[in-house]
Amino acid sequence: MENRTAREYYENYLKTTHRLGRILTASVLILLLAAPYVIGIYLKAMPNIPAVLKAFLGVGIVYLVSGIVEYLIYVPMLGAGGSYLAFITGNLINMKIPCAINARDIVGVKSGTPENEIIATLSIATSSLVTIIVLALGVLLMIPLQPVLQSPALQPAFENVVPALFGAMACKYYRADRKAALIVLTVMTLLFVFVPSLIGSTSMMVIPSGALAIGLSYLSFRKKQKTSEGGNEA
Amino acid sequence: MELLAELNSPVMYLICGGIILFVSVICIVFAVRAYRAGRQLGIDESKMKRVITASTTFAVLPSIGILLGVIALSGSLGTPWPWLRLSVIGALHYETQVAEAASEAAGIGGLSIANMTPEAFATIAFLMSLCIMWGMVLVIFNGEAYSRRLVSPSHPEKGGKKKKSGMSGFGDTAMTAMFIGLVSAYIASYIGTIVSGNGMFSFQGSWLPLAVAVTSAAAMGVFIYIKNRTGADWVDSFSVAGSMLTAMAAAIFFGRLIG
Repeated sequence: MENRTAREYYENYLKTTHRLGRILTASVLILLLAAPYVIGIYLKAMPNIPAVLKAFLGVGIVYLVSGIVEYLIYVPMLGAGGSYLAFITGNLINMKIPCAINARDIVGVKSGTPENEIIATLSIATSSLVTIIVLALGVLLMIPLQPVLQSPALQPAFENVVPALFGAMACKYYRADRKAALIVLTVMTLLFVFVPSLIGSTSMMVIPSGALAIGLSYLSFRKKQKTSEGGNEA
Repeated sequence: MELLAELNSPVMYLICGGIILFVSVICIVFAVRAYRAGRQLGIDESKMKRVITASTTFAVLPSIGILLGVIALSGSLGTPWPWLRLSVIGALHYETQVAEAASEAAGIGGLSIANMTPEAFATIAFLMSLCIMWGMVLVIFNGEAYSRRLVSPSHPEKGGKKKKSGMSGFGDTAMTAMFIGLVSAYIASYIGTIVSGNGMFSFQGSWLPLAVAVTSAAAMGVFIYIKNRTGADWVDSFSVAGSMLTAMAAAIFFGRLIG
């Protein structure tokens, strides 16, 4: 396909992805908000709105802030199609984001390119379907599988899925910028050691940790850029 | 217990299963569109197939972890509702916390089937939907405008001119840095747990998460070494899942050591 035609095709693809994404995301949102009321009709009891508001002021505000931050950070990584899918299917930090980045690294594509858009969408869609299938099979087999999955011997394995994931990812990404990794890890460790109450809010601590890592990377990026500009001028 | 039977009834499976089915169709539609577009744009099909294989292997283990979350919540909320929440939009970390807060606000003390009432269940279910919908709301109203503002090097007319210098090329570095930040926050929290988790500088906290993370990192190091030595690209498809599996198996061993 010629460059111009490919560009037009991609622009059209993006346009329809956004239109489709908006319609389908809104449909899922309506279904999710309506489901408690439909269940309420079945159970003959409706949600207690004052209680919902009270609990929302307690925990909901935190998720409102983290939802906005996640949106701002992850949309650039996931592209258009990947973003709609990821926000519909959830489990962003523990699966969708690492999965999309892993896929992107495997085939070596750059952020913001058409290749990244396609690869991220394929990766998020595949991982979401795998989760849906595993959960559906699990629910189907829940009764016979429950004793095996809940056996005390296996609990340490399943309780540590997230550390297992982050260990592997650390090995992969720390190699890209060892200095920044060491500084960020040290600063965050000191924070958690001296303010242990923060351990319960680790997902929120990703924000300052990420900001520090980006700041350090930017400084090193600018330094490299200046050096290469100096080299070119010379 | 009568309520638990109602929460596990076929009607509940129908309501929750219907929504999950709808989301599955959405995933398939997006995947097929992306694959076709990739072909049209000249992306190597073998690359796209590798992405599908890698994402499948990558997702299996975390999915089993999520399934365990469904099992954990099924005792107090029945099976269909946690199944829906964790298949769609939800995240294991969030759901329990939100359900617990809603239980307290609904006046049943804590999340337990013993005190659960139909009204408390409907309240919990609604709050769970309400609390974690913001990403969806933002992507509906602002997704297109926000993602179009992001620069595409392949599309200079979309903003490449003003990014000619300074920030150009920083996008990928920033993404890697963000990931370093994410991983560091969690690994640092594991170290913090050991040192101060059970009292400042008590060194009484669980070392299991850190030991698992280190084992996984070591396994990943072996995969990277094999790939670099042999040049076998297929190793990439299984490296993360393989490292996780190794570390999770080690966790069983470490768990026995702790006793």
